Amino acid sequence: MMHRLAALVAEGDPTQTHHWLWPETAEIIYGGIASVLVFSLLVKVAGPLAKKAFADRTARVQGEMDNAAAALDKATQEAARIRSALGNVDAERSRLFAEADSQAAAVLADGRARIEAEAADLVAKAEADIAAAAGRVNEELKSEIARLSALAVERVVRSTVDDSARQAMVEDFINKVGAAR
Amino acid sequence: MSDARTSAWARALSAIADAEGVLGRVDAEFAAVAAAYESNEQLRSTLGDQAIPAERRQAVVEQLLAGKGAHPVTAQLLGLVVGAGRARDLAAIASAIGQDAASSQGRAVAEVRSAVALSEDQQRRLGDALAKAVGTPVNIRVIVDPSVVGGLVATVGDTVIDGTVRTNLDRVKARLS
Repeated sequence: MMHRLAALVAEGDPTQTHHWLWPETAEIIYGGIASVLVFSLLVKVAGPLAKKAFADRTARVQGEMDNAAAALDKATQEAARIRSALGNVDAERSRLFAEADSQAAAVLADGRARIEAEAADLVAKAEADIAAAAGRVNEELKSEIARLSALAVERVVRSTVDDSARQAMVEDFINKVGAAR
Repeated sequence: MSDARTSAWARALSAIADAEGVLGRVDAEFAAVAAAYESNEQLRSTLGDQAIPAERRQAVVEQLLAGKGAHPVTAQLLGLVVGAGRARDLAAIASAIGQDAASSQGRAVAEVRSAVALSEDQQRRLGDALAKAVGTPVNIRVIVDPSVVGGLVATVGDTVIDGTVRTNLDRVKARLS
């Protein structure tokens, strides 16, 4: 129905082609040539630009890829360095712990030895002080006993020696001196 | 008083007594007064006090000797010593006079300390015994000293013969110490 309608319309309009789909032959030729010219012009003028754009884009993409690769490499190296650093940190921590343990053990041993020496000195000094005090007390006691004994002896002698005893001592002295030579 | 001054006084007094022919008596009486002076605190304070006039001190000496039969030369010489303010050196001067008197007789002085006074007989026998012991005749000078407790100690020059209870007590103390 549509075909018949179009044919009816075309029969009455000279601008209409003989086919409802295809243009006129001349138009096809002219249009084709014009299209070729335009296309050639486009190829000639826009081609280099497009090619350059593609090349630039390719270069940019390549650069980005290179940068990405470099970044990846750098990141890999950084990761390796960090892993290495982490390893060093662990080793350093272990070394520090070992050194601290060693120092603590040395300090502990030194402190124990010093305390034992000081304790030994204190014990020895205390024993010496005790011995000295005992000796001093002993000497003081001896001295006091001697003093009291001497006083007692003198009192006994003084109370015992009367005038007759003194006269007897005088006579004894005279006799002994006279008999000496 | 220094030894030199004491010796000078003793030599002067001995010379006067010797010139008067009473050295032995003056020696004995000086020794007796010196012993009294040493044993009597009141006598020491009176005769040794320079504030008391010399005449007053000499009067005390005269009163001390009055009735004791002391020779006038002794009284005069004692008054001279006391008046000159040498009462404190009386014992040293008497001792030096004793030495001079003994030396003039060719004898030694034996200073004897005893807790009790010795009788004339004891002094004579003691003098004989000491002369026998030291080989020289001695003049006995007895000093009564209660601190010896008992017995005698005789000093003749450098020789000391000690038989006192005091010395024995000191030895006991030393051994106990």
